[in-house]
Amino acid sequence: MSETAFVRWRDLPRGRQLVGGAPMCAGCSGLEVLHQVLDVLGEKTVIINSAGCMSLLVSYPYSPLRGSWLYTAMASAAAGAQGMRDALDLRLAQGMPAEDDLQVMVLSGDGAAYGMGLSPASGAIERGLDFIYLVYDNEGYGNTGQQQSDATPHGAHTASCGSYRGWKKDLFAIWVAHRPAYAATLIGSEPLDLARKVDKAARLKGPRLLLALAPCPTGWDFDASATVEVGHLAVKTGIWPLKEYVDGRITHTKVPRERLPVEDYLVRQGRFRHLFEPRRDEARLGEVQAAVDAYWAELPGG
Amino acid sequence: MYRIRFHGRGGQGMKTASRILGSALFLAGYEVQDAPHYGAERRGAPMHAVVRAARGPIQERGFVDRPDLVVVADEGLLAEAGAAILQGLDHHSLLLTVGREPAALWQDRLRLAGPVLALADAVIAAGERHFLGAFCAGAAARLLGVVALACLLQAVDDEVASFGEAAVARSRELAEAGWRGLEEHAGSVGEGSAAGASGQAPPDWIELQAEAGDLAAPSIHGGLSSIEVRTGLWRTQRPVIDYAHCRRCWWVCSEFCPDSAISVDADGTPTIDYAHCKGCLVCLAQCPAHAIRAVPERGASS
Amino acid sequence: MTRLLLTGNAAAAWGARLAHADYVPAFPITPQTEIIDTLAGWIESGAMPGRLTMMESEHSMLTAACAAAAAGVRVFTATSSQGLLYAMEMVYAAPGLRNPFVLVNVSRGVQTPVTIQSDHTDVLAARDSGFLQLHCASCQEVADSVLLAYRLAERVRLPAIVNLDGFTLSFTREPVELPDAQEAARFLPPLAEAFGTTARPFSAGRSLAAGAAVLDSTAYTYFRYQSHLAAVAALQAWEEVSDTFAEQFGRRYDGVEAYRMDDAEYVFFLTGALAGKARGVVDRLRAAGCPAGLLRPRLLRPWPEAALRQWLRGRRAVMVVDQSLSMGKGGVLHGELASSLYGQPGAPLLLSFIGGLGGREIAAGELHEMATVARRAAEAGEAPPPRLLFTAGELRVVRKQQALAQVAEEEKR
Repeated sequence: MSETAFVRWRDLPRGRQLVGGAPMCAGCSGLEVLHQVLDVLGEKTVIINSAGCMSLLVSYPYSPLRGSWLYTAMASAAAGAQGMRDALDLRLAQGMPAEDDLQVMVLSGDGAAYGMGLSPASGAIERGLDFIYLVYDNEGYGNTGQQQSDATPHGAHTASCGSYRGWKKDLFAIWVAHRPAYAATLIGSEPLDLARKVDKAARLKGPRLLLALAPCPTGWDFDASATVEVGHLAVKTGIWPLKEYVDGRITHTKVPRERLPVEDYLVRQGRFRHLFEPRRDEARLGEVQAAVDAYWAELPGG
Repeated sequence: MYRIRFHGRGGQGMKTASRILGSALFLAGYEVQDAPHYGAERRGAPMHAVVRAARGPIQERGFVDRPDLVVVADEGLLAEAGAAILQGLDHHSLLLTVGREPAALWQDRLRLAGPVLALADAVIAAGERHFLGAFCAGAAARLLGVVALACLLQAVDDEVASFGEAAVARSRELAEAGWRGLEEHAGSVGEGSAAGASGQAPPDWIELQAEAGDLAAPSIHGGLSSIEVRTGLWRTQRPVIDYAHCRRCWWVCSEFCPDSAISVDADGTPTIDYAHCKGCLVCLAQCPAHAIRAVPERGASS
Repeated sequence: MTRLLLTGNAAAAWGARLAHADYVPAFPITPQTEIIDTLAGWIESGAMPGRLTMMESEHSMLTAACAAAAAGVRVFTATSSQGLLYAMEMVYAAPGLRNPFVLVNVSRGVQTPVTIQSDHTDVLAARDSGFLQLHCASCQEVADSVLLAYRLAERVRLPAIVNLDGFTLSFTREPVELPDAQEAARFLPPLAEAFGTTARPFSAGRSLAAGAAVLDSTAYTYFRYQSHLAAVAALQAWEEVSDTFAEQFGRRYDGVEAYRMDDAEYVFFLTGALAGKARGVVDRLRAAGCPAGLLRPRLLRPWPEAALRQWLRGRRAVMVVDQSLSMGKGGVLHGELASSLYGQPGAPLLLSFIGGLGGREIAAGELHEMATVARRAAEAGEAPPPRLLFTAGELRVVRKQQALAQVAEEEKR
């Protein structure tokens, strides 16, 4: 961590890469994370966008970005990143000054990243593509009204299922199995941890995952002002472990000393209301707690 | 045929208003069509919904371009985005505003040929703006004068049932309040006629010419153009910084603001960009000094 | 029989429910999502038996539909726009398997640029796939067409698309008369009965290899042309299917809707929900002394060629209104109709109008103007070049946006 530019809060960037006017919902953590990430990366970034809530981030003639952007399709943003990186490399070889080069970054929701976008991403990692893959994970197809995606957590109510019986796919582990240059989980409510990871990713070459849990007032059903608080609870309950993978090792960057019970997090969100009303669903609550406990128990020193 | 438009913001229940009025007219024996019109479905963004009702089959679809009644659930919209709301209003169309200002003010300011009525919304608390739909539907039903109160309340039951008993009870109260509020204007909206062939001016079609590729692609050069998009209009609550208590920590409110709408100067003094702040109030929830309070938007400007 | 206010999406979902669809592979996309949300809610609550599986893409969704249809259950699925395009490999693969199912497409323009508003470019991209295509003009027609599509598809053993316009039908509520479940079941008996056997394919002890590769051109030609012949045969089958429907439910759905065509000289030709507004314009033109009429193909595949030739013989001019665009050619319907009328005795003059792209509202005044242009063209004996519905005011809007996008400045560099 010694090489990080972000030791203390006051090291966080003051300048903003995004301006207002973006058509995301009020209190959108995805937009919050995007500004936090771009504020560290700077404007020499080209976003390769996958279909999702952020499809509308750039709606003609309005762009909130200082940097660049290319829209692709839901499945194949990673392939778009390949084409962009290859072309920039060719131009560098043809004499383009190095300072004109761009950091290539995919921007994807969980629907694409955990689902139909997985195969092109896997191919890009396998080819050692030099790119960042930023995921705003709001655990459902938010742009169409929060249907169940492959990132939906156990027990959540979505527009397409009463109470999800499956378990959230471990995208971090899937990436790590590919042995990428870097992989990290992030959350907007921990900006210093986020900035350090983005900074580290920016200094590395190769495939780099930035996977951000993005509390979603609209899709998760909580008041917009609670976005950061819900994020804090996701970390303090151990539901969303903050960690990174680099040089073949996984390190947890913020280990909650005493984990709060998961229901402190669940009870804040309308999508889990059925676990508490009309009566407590002890079985389901127990399953979620047990899964979190098992995760942390497996860690060295857990 | 009756043609009605309800204008409001996403989350204020305008789709519900159109559905309640549509169902009430259907119960009263009319053929009915109702539909919401929006771009992206975002809370706080301006949207509208339409209702058509006739004794025979309805052939028209889409935008209501010659309304008999326009209901504006949010006065603020009228002040800022009047043009879209006033489209197609003529001497026979009635404009109903819901809020605090008197009808005479709007009549004077908007210079309308047709009548204007204003309905005070004092019965609706700041935290229950999502019930505006029921209130507006009740008011509109009374203005048409062809829907019995029993039909209106039955329609409320049908359309609000999925939101739970408490929502139904409150919606019934507010629909009835809207209905009673316009007692002396019952039946003051009449049916408009079908647009006659003679009244149609020929369109000024043009020959579109082929233009240069850059001009002919949806590309935005230079970025940051979204500052033209006044997402501040979405706001119903305005965060106000109490500078006497602000500790100039500089980073908390600015870092967590999803919309990059809080800037800080060299001293760490934050300034909120009200043209783009959507009023999510994450800053209020996170300010460690509790130096930010919320003011209802209409009171904030005065 | 119940009469309810339903959106086009809810009507499509009711069609699937009344058809006793067993299996719904699903993937959300605006403006279709309400269909699968509605079905998911019914299946979750037990109001509708069956299974809904949320897939990870439309390509997978349609593949699952093909496999389940092959395994002998009644399959329903739905998509829009980019979803239909992403599934396109399987859209072309499905018909040759010769197993029926119904895909509802809620029409929406395609990228680039992305839009969520309606036009018909998406569904017409599937025109040559082998799917039957039924195009709807009202929410009532949506619910009915799902039932009709199953009966037709199961008769000729091809999958069918039921198309409805995004927003103008999908999100618009209007009164819909729903048949009760028993009546619907009488119209649409269980799938096994439709096939004349109770034995299901893909059972242990009954070897079946479906979708085999065919590398020699002879057999390839045979199989591909069989799908074409089945689609053509669907025209004849439609007569029986729509007659039975009309007898049972009192609503008649000819392959081509003809409105005030008896002595019409100037004929609007279009598909989908725009028909409502166009009927109103026909009435007003008639009131003003212009002999106007309207033809609307409900069946786009199979193409009701004979009926169209018959209806249009001896008319003066046809105003073809395309809500789609074949780049480098023009309106798709215009080309389709021209190919049917070429060389026919008494063929009318064809005028091409292209509008409604990305949900662009076609004003009644514009339909009036089309009739005026058609009268002038008929007098001159020559059709004008294709006309894009685009006004000077609209170009000013684009110029303002281009200024904000700073495209002009960039051009100058």
